[in-house]
Amino acid sequence: MPNIKKKFSKIYDKYVEQIYRFVFLKVNSQEIAQDLVSETFLRCWEAFKDKKDIKNPRAFLYQIARNLVIDYYREKSKVVMVSADSAPLPDPREGLEEKTNKNLELERIKNCLSALKEEYQNAIIWYYLEGLPVSEIAHLLGKTEGATRVLISRALQALKDKVSEA
Amino acid sequence: MTEKELIAKIKQLRQIKPEKEWVVLTKEKILGSEPKIRWLGLFDYQLRPILAGALMALIIFGLFSVSQNSLPGDILYPLKKISEKGQAIFVSKSEEPKVKLEWVNKRLAELKEVALKNQTKKLATALRETENALAEAAKDLVKSENIAQKEVVEKAKEMIVKKEEIEKTLGVEIGGEENENFTKVLAEKLIKDLENRNLAKEQKEILEKAKKDFENGDYQEALLKVLELSYNNE
Repeated sequence: MPNIKKKFSKIYDKYVEQIYRFVFLKVNSQEIAQDLVSETFLRCWEAFKDKKDIKNPRAFLYQIARNLVIDYYREKSKVVMVSADSAPLPDPREGLEEKTNKNLELERIKNCLSALKEEYQNAIIWYYLEGLPVSEIAHLLGKTEGATRVLISRALQALKDKVSEA
Repeated sequence: MTEKELIAKIKQLRQIKPEKEWVVLTKEKILGSEPKIRWLGLFDYQLRPILAGALMALIIFGLFSVSQNSLPGDILYPLKKISEKGQAIFVSKSEEPKVKLEWVNKRLAELKEVALKNQTKKLATALRETENALAEAAKDLVKSENIAQKEVVEKAKEMIVKKEEIEKTLGVEIGGEENENFTKVLAEKLIKDLENRNLAKEQKEILEKAKKDFENGDYQEALLKVLELSYNNE
């Protein structure tokens, strides 16, 4: 048990920011993001305790987080893809807002990103924001590397279009 | 905005970070609470047989303690006897006559209590217990080589006094054959012991009288005399 704890602790420290960002960019609320991320790591820890073979913890965490976000929107009957205009205002308590209030352009990108379809959002977050290798994104999306490259390219183009429109 | 500028802006979203306090607390909540629960479970699991054992020991100890005040015929009385016999295991051979006399005295005390409480149903059992104790004490006295110890003499004397007192109260003779045998053995042993001792003139006279009583079959009287001598001679 102490070894598993130690191993999980390292994984938590390494990926908690990435998973938080991933969830926050989708739910746009600090409180909801915290809840979903907590649940993500709790499920991961339970899998660790059950000695499940987790070869790629990051992919595993992203997968759980993705499912939780989908479940959250399904439950709340909310639509993931919202237009930039109707995007909810960022949580007033979240640190980013304070930091980015002066940078309207960054806020605009964030809103445009959340207005993209889920597949494009993921591709942009994973490739450009977190710097995941194409092979890993392909694995996460269940696509070939070639198809993934095309998807990343299209996703960036879609975001560029959204930003121009906004 | 060029593609390059857009990618640079996307990278700036890395500023989004969870609160440090929340990060620490969440980790503690996930990892910290779990082992505690597990340890508690394990502790409980390990403790269960120990607790059950301790509880059993406590119940047995309690029953044995309560049984010490029980009287013949009571449910817990056998426990009292078991407890006595258990204690006797650690007694040396030379001490056995003293212990057996002590038991006779205890049985006599119980008999007295039964009589005083007017518990007629228990009377027969109490009498039988006393007789058995007397018979057992007599057996030990026969085997014993050295019975002229001060404590043995004192206990024997105490026993005779108690017995006489109860016999008067109840109007019955305690022991019958067992008592006669016990008195005879004890008197005989003490007479032999006194014969090998240096006695004063007066003491020799009492011993002679005791011997005559013994020859005449008055073992009780003979015993009373030698007990007095043995006690004073110590």
